[in-house]
This record gives sequence, structure tokens and C-alpha cells, in this order.
Amino acid sequence: MARIGIKNLVKEFGSFTAVKGINLEINDGEFLIMVGPSGCGKTTTLNMISGLVMPSSGEISIGENDVTHTEPGERGLGMVFQDLALFPHMSVFENIAFGLRVKNTSEQEVKDRVQQAAEAMHIEQLLSKRPGQCSGGEAQRVALARTIVTNPSVYLMDEPLSSLDAKLRIDMRTELKGLHERLSGTFVYVTHDQAEAMTMADRIVVMNGGEIEQLGGPLDIYRKPATRFVAGFFGMPTMNFLDGEIAAVDGAPMFVTDGIKAPLEGDLPANLSGRKATLGVRSEHVLATEAENGGKVSLIEPLGDATLVYFDYGGPTRLVSKVDPDRLFAPGDDLTFAFDANNCHLFDADNGARLN
Amino acid sequence: MADVTLKAAAEPAVTKGALSRFGAWLSQERVFRWIPFVLVEGTFILVIIIPFLLTIYISFLRWRANRPFEQAQLSGFRNYEQVLTDAGFWASLGRTFYFAGTAVIFELVIGFFLAMLVHRVVRGRRIYITLFLIPMMVVPVVAGYNFSMIYLDSGPLNQLLSPFTNMLGINPRIRWLSDPTAAQLAIIIADIWQWTSLTFLIFLSGFSSLPPQLINAARVLGANKRQIFFWIELPLLKPAIVIAVVIRSMEALKLFDPVVLLTFGGPGTSTQTIAYYLWEQVWQFNKYSFGAAASILLLILFSVLIFVGIWLLIRQRNQFEQQQETAT
Repeated sequence: MARIGIKNLVKEFGSFTAVKGINLEINDGEFLIMVGPSGCGKTTTLNMISGLVMPSSGEISIGENDVTHTEPGERGLGMVFQDLALFPHMSVFENIAFGLRVKNTSEQEVKDRVQQAAEAMHIEQLLSKRPGQCSGGEAQRVALARTIVTNPSVYLMDEPLSSLDAKLRIDMRTELKGLHERLSGTFVYVTHDQAEAMTMADRIVVMNGGEIEQLGGPLDIYRKPATRFVAGFFGMPTMNFLDGEIAAVDGAPMFVTDGIKAPLEGDLPANLSGRKATLGVRSEHVLATEAENGGKVSLIEPLGDATLVYFDYGGPTRLVSKVDPDRLFAPGDDLTFAFDANNCHLFDADNGARLN
Repeated sequence: MADVTLKAAAEPAVTKGALSRFGAWLSQERVFRWIPFVLVEGTFILVIIIPFLLTIYISFLRWRANRPFEQAQLSGFRNYEQVLTDAGFWASLGRTFYFAGTAVIFELVIGFFLAMLVHRVVRGRRIYITLFLIPMMVVPVVAGYNFSMIYLDSGPLNQLLSPFTNMLGINPRIRWLSDPTAAQLAIIIADIWQWTSLTFLIFLSGFSSLPPQLINAARVLGANKRQIFFWIELPLLKPAIVIAVVIRSMEALKLFDPVVLLTFGGPGTSTQTIAYYLWEQVWQFNKYSFGAAASILLLILFSVLIFVGIWLLIRQRNQFEQQQETAT
């Protein structure tokens, strides 16, 4: 069983605290993705799980064993690095065989297992080549084959797709997800790409400033972001944010700012009236149909399956709405819009915590 | 000056005097673009081609510097024949390879281990680097004089060694510079002292450029320190090793300063290197045409060696670049 437990994990580099005491339980066989901006501590956390970085304090356990002070090679895990870290002076075969050779595996077994791993990653034809002769996608597969050949129970991946071009990256996502199902190992995957996190993860850990902002399934995080940071991090285009105030109009709660009035529905805690807040609305929930508020189109971005319409509403920011591609707008056009009251996110103006 | 020429070029009608006319002529595009070429080629011809051709010419003459040059006569390949049949030439050439080979092996091994140790040290690393680089920065003449004092019969080296020599029953007054075997050792030690700095520097840069992620990858795969060193670090350091071998070998074959400063080739001819031998033939015995022929022969020999060396270097560099590409 490869359940990973992290307790009060802290890492300090001099006076800088990269990871500020996080707690996390990663289930056996789970595909967990840690996501966040540069410097949020996600890679440091991963390196502490791998043992390459020693924590300043806290505990890490894999299965039943406390591995906080165990050597990386004795934790029974496999790791794929951001720059792949293939050994340039060895053939692809020797690269894949490395993890077996260090344990003095018999020659016949090395041959068989390397062959199996190469077949699993469809790279049999590369075995005699050097990593330098492989393309980006091929090198990626070699790195994965080197990791799976030792049958680890935990797979750690540090932005493994970041060196690939956009098309290949999307193909590899699907492949990684398939690999996870075949191997039934625990995957801990680090990325700064929210789309990667959304598409592959069972659960997502959103990190920011060395702390966990939110932990949950991809759709939970997308539909109910716990903080303003998470709301802004997920989704393309970035969620619309408006700073304003909550007021009670005729007994119904209403968000008011710069000439916009947006009715709020759903469960709202009491005593919100008069409170300063930030309203977050995704572009698909800005409905450019009903005549409630007015604006002027400034920019159009056709995506094919939808069109993004950026418009000024009289406030300090620009809003974006995702509309049907058949509706034709041009810069300078007037438009009327409303927010989908069921999909409005309210965040505290000070600490960004979710209010509704 | 620039102003003058510019002005002259712009208004040729106003120019007066030879200098400004010359300036105007120079600043024409078709003349001006030849200037750097003429300067570089001129220097090259003056400093390299003429002396080189002169040396070839002299090597075919029968001439000693104590006789007038006009009386020198062409003698065909007689000098070459003399050089190739001269026992002293072959002996000093062989000795040069012996000195260079021994010294370079020690420089490589010591430099490698120093670099490996310093690479692992975190505290005071810069101090160690500076200290280990000092010998290379000492002027060779100064180093030679220092060693001549160290090697005195009653000098510091023998004092330091005396407990051991006493224990082994050897006379503690080792005659470092007047015993043939000891003098050869003395020259080799002086060379090792001075040039281990260079191999240290090359290896240190080699160690620093090892990609840390490769070592991390090996650690996660379960490799121990010994496996990481022999399977990852050492193979990746191969380019640095080849560079160190080639550069140091080329230099060591020219060994001259410590010989002059410590032993003058003696006792007997036991520390004569080929460079010293040539110097002696030409400047002590005035055998100009003999020396010229010997230098041409050596030039051919060393050119072949250097070509092989450079070929190795280029091959390694290509490999190294390929490695860097894959690592990033």
C-alpha cells in the first residue's frame, strides 16, 4: 500500500520559508496534482517526498513507514524530472536499465524488464540510441520507461511535460492518465498549468505562498473555489473580478459596484449587508443577453466553439463574456449583460476567503 | 585625426599638404577596407613567416654563428642527417617524454582529487580555490629559484624528510640537484608543483558543470555514492579529462625553465630536455644550422601530436555540447 502522509511539513531556506507547515493525506492509487504559481512551494514539497530535500521539520510517511530521514533510493518511488535528467552518456537501454543495475539485477532479468518497459512506452526502436538523438516526445517516454521499470508504488512527477510543445503536451496528458490506470500506482504530479491539473487529477492541491489554498476534485475547485486566488488561478479566461459592496435591496441581497447591480442567490450567511466584497464571475456566466447592465465591446477573441467578448462597463476593469460563436460583435458595439446569479462567487475583500 | 580625414574626404578640394592627402586616400572605401587586413597579414608575415622561412633556409646551410654568414654554404640534408644520428638529440627527446609523461600523470591524479574534494567542501571553498591556484600564478623563474633553495643539500626538503630517511637508513643529505636520478625527480616535482593548479582548475570547472538533476535522478533510482561516481560523474567528466591531458602534455613537452634554473641539464646530461638541448646547441655551441634542422624536425613531430590532440579536443567538445543539449 502506498498511502502518503504528510504532517506539519516545513522547509526553510535561510530566512525564507518555502513550505509553511502543510498537512496532506494522499490515498493509495490516487492521481494527485499539486498546482500553483512559481515559488509556491509545490516542487519543494515534491522533493521532500522524494527525499532529495530534507524537511526542516515535520513528518513524511509512505505506506506504514516513516520515511522522513530515509535515503531517496530506499523509499520505493520513481521520479520524472522537469528536464527529464536522462543520462546523456548512456544508451536508452542503459538509461532504462539503470534502476535495475544499481541493485545488481541479473543480466537476463534486466533485458526482459527493460524490453517490457520499452514496449509499454512504445519505444523499442530507440533502445540503442543515445538520449541526444531522441526527439522531445521520445525522450519523455524514455524518462517514463526508466521510472516504471523498477515498479515503484509511488510516482513523483515534476512538471514533466513542460519541455514539450503544446500539441504533444495534450497528447501526453491523455497518455499519462492511461498510464496511471494501467499501473495503479500513486501519482503525485506537480505543475503550474491549471489545464493539466484539471484534465488529469483525481484531486488537486492548490498551493500559494507555501500553504495549501484548497484541496479537492477538479470540478469542486472549478465550481466552488475556496479563495479568490484559486478562483483566479483556474479557468481560461481568468475569472472576472469586481470590487464592491453587498447591499440588501427590498430584502434581497444584491452586489453593487460602479453602476452594476447583481442579484445574489443561494445560501448566503446573514449579516453580509454593507460588507465590502469581491464578486467573481466566470466568462461563461456573464450572459450577454438580458438588458440589465450596459457596456461597450472593446475586443473580440473568436475561439471557434465560442467567442470571447471583452467589454468596458464603466468600472476600472474590463469584463469578458463567453458567447455563442454565431452572435457577431464588433469593437465599439453596445451590449447589455447580466450575471448568472447561481454562479456568482463572493470573496472577502480583505483576505480573499469565500463568503457564499 | 579622425576629424581631419573625415573633413578631407568630404571636401577634397580644400585639402593641402601630403599628410591630409594621404588621409583622404586612406579614407576611400576601397582602400580603407584593406587596412585591417594589411596590418594583420603584415604582422603575421613579419613575425612568423619570415623567421620560419629563414629557419628552413638556415637548416640547409653549413653555418656556425662564429663564422660570417656570407661564407655559409648550402649543404643539403646534412644537418638533418646529423640531428637524426645524434645520440644526444634522441636521449633528450626520450627524457622529455619521460619527464612530461610522469609529471602529467601526477598532475592529473592530484588535480582530480583536489578538485573533487574542493567541489564537496561548502565552507571556505573560495579560500581553497585561491590557495590551490597560486602556484600557477607564480612566475616560473621565481618558482625555479625557490626550488633551487628548497633542494639544497641541507635545505628544508631534506630536513623535512630526515625522519623518514633515517628510518630507512638512507643518507639524509640527498643531493637533489647533483645526483642524476634525484635531479630528474627534482625537475619533475617542480613541474608538478607548478602545474597541478591548471589541472585542478580544469577539473573543478568540470565538477561544477555536472548537472545536479542527473545525480538526483540516480539517487532516486537507488544508486549509492560509489555508483554515482563511477557510472555518472566520471563518464561525464571525460571531456574535462581529455582537455587536461592534451593541454598539459603539449605544455610539458616544452619543459625548459626548471632545467635551466635548477640543473643546467646536469649532472652530465641527465636532466637535458629537448628544449634545453636545442638551446644549448644553438646558444652555447653556436651550431645554428644544426639547431635549425632539429627545430624543423621537432616542429613536424609536435605538429602531429598537437593535431591528434586538437582532434581529440574537438571530438570531446562535440560530445560535450551534445550532452549539454540533452541535459537541458
